[in-house]
Amino acid sequence: MDPMAAYALRRLLWAVPVLWAVATITFFLMHAVPGGPFTQDKALPPAVNDALNRRYHLDKPVWEQYGLYLWDSVHGDLGLSFQGDRSVTEIIRNTFFVTAQLGVLGFLVAVVIGMTLGTMSALNHNGPLDYVGVAFSTIGASVPSFIMGAFLVIFFAVDLGWFKTLGWGGPRHLTGLLDPFAWDWRRMVLPVVAISTLPTAFIARITRASVLEVLNQDYIRTARAKGLAEVRVVLRHTIKNAMIPVLTLMGPIFANLVAGSFIIETMFSIPGLGRELVNAVIRRDYAMIMGTTLFFTLIITLANLAVDLAYAVVDPRIRYR
Amino acid sequence: MNVRNRWILLLAAPMAVALTLAAACGGTSSTDKTATAAAGGAGTTPTSTQTGGLPADAAPASQQKITMQSTEPQFYDPHRSNFEQDIAVERMLFRGLYNLTDDGSGGVKVVPGDAAGPPTISGNVYTVKLKSGLKWSDGKALTAADYVYGFQRECDPTVASPYQYVLGAGLGDLKGCDELFNNKDATKTQALKDALGVKALDASTLEFTLNRPVATFETIWSLWATFPSRQDVIQKFGDKWTDPGNIVVNGPFTMSELVPKDHVTLKPNPEWSGQKPAIQQLTIKFIDDLSAALKSFQTGELQMTAIQPTDVKVVKGDPSLSSELVIDPTARITAIEMQLKDPALAKFDVRLALSRAIDRKTLVDVVFDGVYTPATYWVVKGLKGFQGNSAFDSTIGFDKAAAQAAMASAGYPNGQGFPTLKLTLTDTPSNRNLADFLIKQWKDNLGITVTPDFVDGKTRSQRFNSGNFQLFPGGWQLDYPDIENPLVGLFDTGGGNNKYNCSDPAIDAAFKEATNATTEAARIAAYQKVETLVVTKLCGVAPIYQNAVPYLVNAKVGGVVPNGTIDASGPGTYCVECWYVKK
Repeated sequence: MDPMAAYALRRLLWAVPVLWAVATITFFLMHAVPGGPFTQDKALPPAVNDALNRRYHLDKPVWEQYGLYLWDSVHGDLGLSFQGDRSVTEIIRNTFFVTAQLGVLGFLVAVVIGMTLGTMSALNHNGPLDYVGVAFSTIGASVPSFIMGAFLVIFFAVDLGWFKTLGWGGPRHLTGLLDPFAWDWRRMVLPVVAISTLPTAFIARITRASVLEVLNQDYIRTARAKGLAEVRVVLRHTIKNAMIPVLTLMGPIFANLVAGSFIIETMFSIPGLGRELVNAVIRRDYAMIMGTTLFFTLIITLANLAVDLAYAVVDPRIRYR
Repeated sequence: MNVRNRWILLLAAPMAVALTLAAACGGTSSTDKTATAAAGGAGTTPTSTQTGGLPADAAPASQQKITMQSTEPQFYDPHRSNFEQDIAVERMLFRGLYNLTDDGSGGVKVVPGDAAGPPTISGNVYTVKLKSGLKWSDGKALTAADYVYGFQRECDPTVASPYQYVLGAGLGDLKGCDELFNNKDATKTQALKDALGVKALDASTLEFTLNRPVATFETIWSLWATFPSRQDVIQKFGDKWTDPGNIVVNGPFTMSELVPKDHVTLKPNPEWSGQKPAIQQLTIKFIDDLSAALKSFQTGELQMTAIQPTDVKVVKGDPSLSSELVIDPTARITAIEMQLKDPALAKFDVRLALSRAIDRKTLVDVVFDGVYTPATYWVVKGLKGFQGNSAFDSTIGFDKAAAQAAMASAGYPNGQGFPTLKLTLTDTPSNRNLADFLIKQWKDNLGITVTPDFVDGKTRSQRFNSGNFQLFPGGWQLDYPDIENPLVGLFDTGGGNNKYNCSDPAIDAAFKEATNATTEAARIAAYQKVETLVVTKLCGVAPIYQNAVPYLVNAKVGGVVPNGTIDASGPGTYCVECWYVKK
């Protein structure tokens, strides 16, 4: 087997004990936290509480519940949410489809604008473009997303009426991805801008620093001394080598964006997975907490693997065994 | 590995991630189809003639569409519901024997729903005739048997209704309901269902046998827990019976689309025999963040929404929004709840000092922008038997000198030697303001130290229910509009909701008096006595304000009749068929 493929397979297999450990820790932490799914100020009568516990098998000892959960999840059953008895798998599928659209669009915006801005800043070091780029990345990195979101909503939706604020404008089903009528861009622009501002700023800063560092390397001086065209120096010798630190950042940024944002999803009433995880914890919706935690673990594991593999592609010095 | 292979792998890596995720997600959803399918027989678009007589200023039927905000209901099954957002939608989809409606003076009254009139009472037996011509949304006749099945479900422990207790001992007292609900032996279930005190004497006559005469029969029999159910539909679809396409309803609207976590869309029920709804499409968007909802109202995407009390000032300052503001007082009193087992709080004078040190008017004005009503009463305004602030202000209301005297009398002059108490609250911005205000009042007026303990909602509830608290800003939201509801079980010795450990022979005796009362006037008077004793003895509660919910209703929406002081689920949700869009 190709050593790199073997490495990828090994890393994927490692995900199994990681998932088990996360499931175990989350399960027992969740049950250790005060209050349960049926706890409320106006306490339910004991008979009602007992009936609900029996219905959801919460009357069994915690160890037995843990065993049942592991058994069911290995068989692909993540259980039912207490919020309406809906299947956790179905909720994750539907909400992640929305969150992933928001995250991928936010990621694309962040990568394209961030890298362009960072490269332009570096190439125009201490020039006007550099100042614009640095100013943007400083503001973008220091303004929290809830302030940015609120500003965008008040200015562009409430005052100017250019965009809408209620819900997500993307399709709800895979088939809708290719249907132009399933997209309502007026409901997409503001959340995408709000979610991508911070990662755009980060990517711009890292790109700028990295390009500047590479531009000062001896081999760039050599390339220029050889009389290579500046375009070739920048595109072939600078950008590619400057991308390694940026790639390092992209994995976590991508994982973070597709895992959703509670703030952005709440602010724009977007039915995404980020909002669901927080709501599940608030409601002590056990199956949803477990399902979303495991799902996020999987995303982060895979995103990190993808970045590690990408290193080998970009940097020939890296070898995986 | 050569360079080309490396780039292929780079491209393959994200694809592998995407494929793995797609596999984990299971691809396209068959359930989604169910969730967005039109509602079977009930999904027929009503013709304009079915909308009946529209008000003169109503827009054409094609413009009769409203989008409103709500928290997402947990269930759409009246026999499983626990929260006001569930109940609001269920009252749009279903109706029971009796209905609650605004009495025109801020309270509520009971009027017949599916019942032809009040019950005929003979001892403990209540007979109710159904109106003629009642139908389900699929066109089948609604009969007494559907009500019998509804009550059997409500008392069935496998359904696990959170509100079964309203039919249980001390409240609805339906014969056999507690026995069925507490039964764990499946072999006895059918016999217990047969023995339940509800019978269909014929297709349109119901007979209820109670364990005692129940003065609040019509009120309790107006609650969602008593709504009818279709046995054939529930047996066919199981827990999915409330999905669009499966659900069969008997209310003014039916469900045409449900996108969990996002919205539910309702359309008029063509088989509804009551007032025909003018609204042809009612979309209920699930929005928890009321600040976000306010913005969506401003952009015109929402026509109705609740807003935060802290946003009322901004709304009042906006010439356009201020005319669309509706503030409905709710049937909830907030009090400083006190643990009487705590050595310091066991002393009446300490409780009195804490209560009299709170300037409720300033509290309401400063923390809640005047949206709430300062209160020293516990039985909410709008209920029969309401006594109001005038009955209690002079005893427990704000009076700094009296508060200091009480503290001195308790043995802590100027707060000297008084232990530090803990105030337990859910961590929200408005609760932080509330805690700041209360703590400062107690510090300034009594010289004592109270520390805030901010926790999440479930932890707070868990501490309250286990009696693990000292001071706790909480209260009681009415389940049904009767004076007994905020009292029974809360202040009687050993009562199920008596987390304060209030135990007072005089209060227990007054409760007995109320239970044994033979006339409505005597019953109300006895409960007023209970309230007076509870409040003046500060037996676990020091009321501070009656809550209210501010709403924005678009100026183009008409027919929004207040619910009366009972429910905060939405403006006028009890008569959704009254709503219309103006020209």
